[in-house]
Amino acid sequence: MNGLRVALAVARKDLRSEWRTRELIPALAQFIVLALVIANFGFQIDSRSAPMIAPGVLWLALVFAGLVAFGRAFAAEREQASLEAMMLTPASPAAIFTGKAIAAAALLIVCEAVMLPALTLFFGTPLNAQVVVAVLLATVGMTVLGCLFAAMAARVRARELLLPLLTLPLWIPFIIAGGQAVQAAMGLQANWDEGIGLLIDFDILFVVLTSLAARFVLDD
Amino acid sequence: MSLLVANGLTQRFGREPALVSVDLVLDAGEHMAVLGENGAGKTTLLRILATAARPSAGRLEILGLDAFRERRRLRRRIGYVAHALGLYPALSALENLEFFCDLHGVDRSRAGAALETVGLSGSEQRPAATLSRGMQQRLAIARAIVHDPRLLVLDEPDASLGSDAADLLAAIMHDRTAVLATHDHALANRLCPRTLVLRNGRSVGTATRLRVVR
Repeated sequence: MNGLRVALAVARKDLRSEWRTRELIPALAQFIVLALVIANFGFQIDSRSAPMIAPGVLWLALVFAGLVAFGRAFAAEREQASLEAMMLTPASPAAIFTGKAIAAAALLIVCEAVMLPALTLFFGTPLNAQVVVAVLLATVGMTVLGCLFAAMAARVRARELLLPLLTLPLWIPFIIAGGQAVQAAMGLQANWDEGIGLLIDFDILFVVLTSLAARFVLDD
Repeated sequence: MSLLVANGLTQRFGREPALVSVDLVLDAGEHMAVLGENGAGKTTLLRILATAARPSAGRLEILGLDAFRERRRLRRRIGYVAHALGLYPALSALENLEFFCDLHGVDRSRAGAALETVGLSGSEQRPAATLSRGMQQRLAIARAIVHDPRLLVLDEPDASLGSDAADLLAAIMHDRTAVLATHDHALANRLCPRTLVLRNGRSVGTATRLRVVR
């Protein structure tokens, strides 16, 4: 119960800070819209090719938006030396990590709320519940992994370089399974159930692993 | 009864020794100043005492508990004011403290009382970013006492505080054990009956009241 209270306090604090400073969301939303505009002009899009191209564009935009969002989640704490202040409380590192991950996931979901309608607008692909479920499930696993590596990378100077190197290889399963589910949801020959099943499996696996690893990463 | 017992605390960064075999015993309610030039090892020692860093060697017991095995339990009883203030600039002074009340698992009503103690009672709703450096320092001090710790570890808390620094620090150190690092010898002499002097990471002696030998 105390862990939940701490996690919610950390998430509330991060979201409140973002709401007041508006540092991340406007920049990420612009990035996503620009990425979709560029992809729209860069590919020959018609009604046949759109469902094949759109899922790839979606995951690319999501991956890069995620890298920025998760990188800031811990870099800002390190820069203002507030992570140490948090760690010098009796709060469990896993609860603090969970709070940071909840806030980062919420920010990414806001970006997805911009991205999915924009994708429909630019590519004419359907926006349905199946697409939303696939993206949200991928967001869970990508967030916990992204936050874990962001916490590790925040300790070093070359964090902007290190974070993608650590994170991208482990995000590949989410992109494969999520891509399969989104393609199926957009009407291509793919198995939505199988993609979603894999996403749920990966989510459970990485949520457990990262919550165990969080204390070693956060607490010296 | 000894509240803090340190034996042979040593810290190395690479090959460089930052602290070499420092011994320390502090009784409950005792106040001790740590003096030394820049780079003498004051911050390193205080970070270890606050459980923010693990020493390369040596033992530290606080309240009879191993300070590194039991650090999460002990952190309920330790208040630390670090060099870097670690505040959230977008949150108000009150929100900053209420957040740390949540992390410590103590009632949020303590936040207002802590702000009053440090003289920030009129500035609760101001974002930390808009506070002056001295007010931010006071807010960091309020955060260190909001959970009513038994041991205070204060790393140059007088920086930017102004003329009432000694009164404020005396008020928060009252009834608590405290270790205070400072460059202000007069302040150390006023607040702390005991002094530890560090030079190049080594203790060059402790004294009751200040007779610093260079």
